[in-house]
Amino acid sequence: MRRRNTIIYGIVIISFLVVLLRLFDLIVIEHDRFSKRAEDQSTTLEEVQVRRGLIFDRTGRRLAVNLEQNSVYCYKRLLKASDEQLTEMAQLLGIDYDNLKFKLENSRNFFWLKRKVPVEITEKLNTLSIGGIGVSPEAKRDYTMGTLASHVIGFVDIDNKGIDGIEKLYNGDLIDKGGTFSVEKDARGNKFYTENMRERKGKNMVLTIDVGLQYIVERELELALEKWKAESATVVMLNPYNGEILAIANRPTYDPNEAGKYNPSNRRNRAITDLYEPGSTFKIVATSGTLEEKLVKPTDMIDCSAGAIDVGGKRIKDAHRHGVLSFMQVIQKSSNVGTIKLAQRLGKDTLYKYIKLFGFGKKTGIDLPGELPGTAKHPKYWSGVSIGAMAIGQEVGVTPLQVVTAYSVIANGGYAIQPHVVRGFTYDDTTSTLDVKEDEKKRLVSKNTVATMRAALMMVTQQGGTATYAEVEGNHVAGKTGTAQIFDRQLRHYSSTDYVSSFVGFVPAEKPVLSMIVVVWKPRGAIYGGVVAAPIFKNIAEKALSYLNIPREDMEDSNKLYVDNAKTLIDVSYNYNKLNN
Amino acid sequence: MIQINRKYIKHFDWYIFLILLSISLIGVFTIYSATRPIITNVQQNYYTKQLLWICIGMVGLIAVVIYDYAWLRKSAYVFYIFGIILLLLVLLIGKKGMGAQRWIDLKIIVFQPSDLFKIVLIVALARYLSTIRYQLTKGSFAIALVLFGFLPFALIIKQPHLGTALITFSIFVFLALSKGIEKKFLIGLTIFLAIVVPLVSKTMWNGLKEYQKNRIVAFIDPAIDPKGMGYQIEQSKVTAGSGMIFGKGYLHGTQGPLRFLPEKHTDFIFSVFAEEWGFVGCTIMFILYFMLFIRGIDTALKAKDEFGRYVSIGITFMLFMYFIINIGMVLGMMPVVGVPIPFMSYGGTSTITNFLAVGILINIRMRRVVMVY
Repeated sequence: MRRRNTIIYGIVIISFLVVLLRLFDLIVIEHDRFSKRAEDQSTTLEEVQVRRGLIFDRTGRRLAVNLEQNSVYCYKRLLKASDEQLTEMAQLLGIDYDNLKFKLENSRNFFWLKRKVPVEITEKLNTLSIGGIGVSPEAKRDYTMGTLASHVIGFVDIDNKGIDGIEKLYNGDLIDKGGTFSVEKDARGNKFYTENMRERKGKNMVLTIDVGLQYIVERELELALEKWKAESATVVMLNPYNGEILAIANRPTYDPNEAGKYNPSNRRNRAITDLYEPGSTFKIVATSGTLEEKLVKPTDMIDCSAGAIDVGGKRIKDAHRHGVLSFMQVIQKSSNVGTIKLAQRLGKDTLYKYIKLFGFGKKTGIDLPGELPGTAKHPKYWSGVSIGAMAIGQEVGVTPLQVVTAYSVIANGGYAIQPHVVRGFTYDDTTSTLDVKEDEKKRLVSKNTVATMRAALMMVTQQGGTATYAEVEGNHVAGKTGTAQIFDRQLRHYSSTDYVSSFVGFVPAEKPVLSMIVVVWKPRGAIYGGVVAAPIFKNIAEKALSYLNIPREDMEDSNKLYVDNAKTLIDVSYNYNKLNN
Repeated sequence: MIQINRKYIKHFDWYIFLILLSISLIGVFTIYSATRPIITNVQQNYYTKQLLWICIGMVGLIAVVIYDYAWLRKSAYVFYIFGIILLLLVLLIGKKGMGAQRWIDLKIIVFQPSDLFKIVLIVALARYLSTIRYQLTKGSFAIALVLFGFLPFALIIKQPHLGTALITFSIFVFLALSKGIEKKFLIGLTIFLAIVVPLVSKTMWNGLKEYQKNRIVAFIDPAIDPKGMGYQIEQSKVTAGSGMIFGKGYLHGTQGPLRFLPEKHTDFIFSVFAEEWGFVGCTIMFILYFMLFIRGIDTALKAKDEFGRYVSIGITFMLFMYFIINIGMVLGMMPVVGVPIPFMSYGGTSTITNFLAVGILINIRMRRVVMVY
């Protein structure tokens, strides 16, 4: 009996020891393996789709939003569908039946049947209840204003990745910190998103663009293009005080909602990618330079009576013979001879210095992709004629944006500006904590020079100037025309029929609210900037001033306007917060 | 009316009672953790139900303790016949579920007669053995084998419930051995089995249900197909194995709530416990169980009569078998046979049955001394 008891106790004790040992082995010795397994199977790396931030114009109007849509996928292995069902599905999704069949036979196990399908359609598809066909929600980017400001906004590809415009340049901000996250899941594959992951949103962007102004610009440009049967055209409107781009429009244009359907050249933002010889608008460099260097006084007379001048063995003519002109008149009448004579006073190196000072030959640094720096040769490479040619805007390549930026310097009183299209970011669309950065003002040219140039540029639109068509009712416009032949690369000389007509200026001349450039490539019927571009400027400027509620200069209470060097009228009257509430 | 001697109360086995209570309450806490929801906010009510079972079990335990176990001996055979009838009823009108027919639906509760039957078997077999003067002879062994071995085994395996059937049969074998079998006969039987078992086992294998076969195959190499046959074992090992020395902490285990571990609140509750309490917690649990079993054996040794001794041995053996098979299963040392761990696993009938069983143990221990009035 006692022996048997010992055996029983022994069995119990030994089994406990065995179990304990096994437990020790499992929990302590093999722990790493098992805990890794536990973690592996309960977590999964997951590409979390981030809701792209919205894009607003400066007043809070929506330019780019997200639509909830569904993408339809197919698991071939699970597919159970009759031919009838397939036909019906193909019809619903708007895909070719044969194409569908081909896909089913040749694709891998998982493939997308069609992505971003409106919810109404996928709801109908669900009623067919075909095995192996499923839908997963996907956000489709929608550009509410269609072609409006398309060159600024850009567009995204099917995976919501920015391809052009600010969608591309600010892709990282719009999707914030997207990417892969480790997500917990249970045995049935249900995933547990922590709250911030499921609702991952990018930052919303607020542009400097004003949809109202943009609309005016687009419409006037459209009308003008039709009138002049031009190849292409560009308008850039900006706030001369802080470089905020109020509108950029290009023709031809495209609809970012279906960007793929357009010719890639339509998607080019010509305001920053197309170089042209600016012609007379470039005279601002040589004339301001001589003033700044005190090589000329506004009252000095310059003899242009020859109507032509020999520079480096080449003869450069005026459009009309002018006689003796004052400094102001040289600008007003856009005399080539007068300008070249001034440039010769400056000399090669100083002229080059002012070319650079006004920002030519380098990128403006605008926050849009694809900007070109333009070309401005170093004096080392100049030929004898260069000093004359460059003074009147030949032998240089500029973008419309560079020219309007240079004129903004005169408009704002002589300070450098940084053109940009993004005002800032917000995380929601109700409370805006926009932090608009104020650059330190860097003076480029003196007050006196600015005052003289402003007066001279005003004379351009007055009686006797080259751009009387630019004058706006009730307000003075300061600006400059430009008409340049297009250099034909194939013929290796200037074309006799193709011109670039432009007008650049600011309005109201004394207290500018906006500066703007109009460039028309290859207009037909007329070529001069004063005839082609100046009226476009006028039409846009008139409507824009009215839209902005700018009182006419000839009215008595115009002094009540709040305008100074740093704050613009636009900032005052278009408070983002106010309009948004 | 009910005569309870004060001395009996004094002799009430608080020691085993407290162990039982501790294990049961730890079980309730673990069930709560294992079934706590992650996706929804609805806590499944398994833990409250288990508390209810424990309360019922407690009442049953006290009821069992009150009367001298002599009456158990008297009505042992009646109970046994009643038990066999219940098993037959299960096969005829039982409720089906999970590929088996093991439950009887009493409308208010659904219960599993095979659980309760084990006690009935132990009591009846103990009475039978206690009536035999010396060792089991060829004849008496044969009678016992048919009545208490094969009959219940056949009825339970028919449900089918392999785990319980095997345990039931092993209870018979163990009690028969502890009574003692004639040496000559025992040797002959051993040789006979050594020859016959390998031959029979093949036909047995073919007679097993597909899932039963799978479990055995899965046991041999669970990693072959982790999402298939060996999934339960592998998951149980992963669950217990990720515990480390001090565990992840109460309510910090993930395997159960994330539903990787099947049967997390019933058969595999111990792996959930291991994940949260680690090696240290498991060792403490083992010590509690160890103390319980040692007390059971001690009770058997101190029992005043042979009937009491065999009942104690049978009950202790039964609890021990359940414990060791469950732990073996949880730690991947044995095939998955669907055996709950006593007092911790969720389950109405098994909890109440185990409480009644311990009640009988206490009863026997209380009345180990013949009272002189």
